[in-house]
Amino acid sequence: MDENLPSFQRYQLAFSAHLRDPLHQPRPLNVPVKRMAVYKEIVFNNLFESISACFPVTQKVLGKRAWLNLVRGFLRDHSANTPIFREIPEEFLIYLNTQTDIPPYLVSLCHYEWIELFVASSATSATELDMSVCPITCADDLIEYRPAFISTMQILNYDYAVQRISPRHKPKEKLSTQLLVYRDVEFAVQFVELNHVTYRLIELLQQESTTGKQALTRIAGELSHPQPESVLQFGLEILQDLKTQGIIIGVIVD
Amino acid sequence: MTMSNLANSKINGVGLGLKRELIPQIQSVFGKDYIANINFLEIAPENWINAGGKAATQLDWFVERFPIACHGLCLSLGGLSPINEVFLQQVKKFLHQYEIPLYTEHLSYATDGYNGQQGYLYDLLPIPFTEEAIHYVAKRIRQTQDILGQRIAIENTSYYVAAPISTMDELTFLKAVLSEADCFLHLDINNIYVNSINFGFDAHAFLRGIPGERIIYSHVAGHYQEAPDLLIDTHGSDVIDPVWTLLAEAYQLFDTFPTLLERDNNIPPLEILMGEVNKIATLQSGYTRNSKPSHQPALVSSN
Repeated sequence: MDENLPSFQRYQLAFSAHLRDPLHQPRPLNVPVKRMAVYKEIVFNNLFESISACFPVTQKVLGKRAWLNLVRGFLRDHSANTPIFREIPEEFLIYLNTQTDIPPYLVSLCHYEWIELFVASSATSATELDMSVCPITCADDLIEYRPAFISTMQILNYDYAVQRISPRHKPKEKLSTQLLVYRDVEFAVQFVELNHVTYRLIELLQQESTTGKQALTRIAGELSHPQPESVLQFGLEILQDLKTQGIIIGVIVD
Repeated sequence: MTMSNLANSKINGVGLGLKRELIPQIQSVFGKDYIANINFLEIAPENWINAGGKAATQLDWFVERFPIACHGLCLSLGGLSPINEVFLQQVKKFLHQYEIPLYTEHLSYATDGYNGQQGYLYDLLPIPFTEEAIHYVAKRIRQTQDILGQRIAIENTSYYVAAPISTMDELTFLKAVLSEADCFLHLDINNIYVNSINFGFDAHAFLRGIPGERIIYSHVAGHYQEAPDLLIDTHGSDVIDPVWTLLAEAYQLFDTFPTLLERDNNIPPLEILMGEVNKIATLQSGYTRNSKPSHQPALVSSN
């Protein structure tokens, strides 16, 4: 501890160190056990509730004791950097990424649970239309121009089938899994399972500023597909489906 | 320090903490007579800053219909790490965006970090009552007020551990910080009572020692009795009689001031909760029939 600090700060550091790690950090001198226990309880319970609310599946899959220990470890070892309560679970994810003694699928599962909260409360408006987004007048627009997605949409790439994990189904092997998540106009968070082509198509449209046709032609090339026209046809169906679900909201005309 | 935004404040009368459970209830009975005594609502900026989706539309709904007070939890006025200026700028923007006139915080710390790390513990931890702590906290309150461009109010916080290194009592510490920081007081009536039981002092004497001219806002709440000499500030039950008595005494001593009912846990239906809201309103009306109009003198005299 820094001996140059004023005495009240040295006391505060000792106080909070004991709250974080009661087993190894001594209680500040002459502080009653019973009173210190109040703080130990409220600080841990408060944090435990905030985190548990975001990860209902994870805690069931791990079991009560392992979950408690994981949150205890978070309080002990992680210096959370956000004052915004909604962002506490994200701090927990950061901590989880430093952990080695957890099931290999756990980081993916926690991310999947966290993204639901994140998309539900993210500050982009679901109805907010970019000025450059034009309405779709015919199906061909999806091919000729660049489809624009609802602003809350994200595509997700996991090593495990996170959406199927439960206490009775703990994955033993990896399974590459692609999902799409978005917040609909009623503020409900929706997940959609994607095949590889759809995932790649959305990824290209988001990252490369290409038209639907350009993206699909490139995918046909990547697949070395003998009939690129059928990829184009299949792709158009995907795009129309995404439009029907309200995930594609218009097109960007340069 | 400009006072205009507070002098024009619509934060008057009785308020209620806007908990998630109460949102649909208030929305469904808005305009009905039986909630007429809810004059304003209180929110924690840490719950609402950058909120999107459903929460954002709810906030818009309430801001259009009620004056809002902001009561913070994580500014960590007594913390070791520097004041989180990024957060404070977010608070400033938030107050401006929703035209919120009042921002109050706790006389406590919520972070343990130093060397630049914040290390949030998300709770209200007790600052030892020492000379050095007075200067340190007052400086950080002034810094906060400078960044926000407005005065804040600090709340006397409930606590459970008296630091053995303290060199003065809570009231002396509180008064010194208020004076050195030149800020407002957010007087928590229940916290006076809780601390008086937990540390064996006279709550009435404490109240009489309060610099009344700095009071701009107050809280009442219920607590949990863990032992005869240990009360926990849970905001999870009804306000008890000794706390009502203290509130009435405070109005008598200092005239009335805006008062909020805090109920964070074990929240009864709004209809039941209104009983306590109405009780505050009744107490206030008993002390405003004299010549003084509401709490305005407190605003003027601390200018």
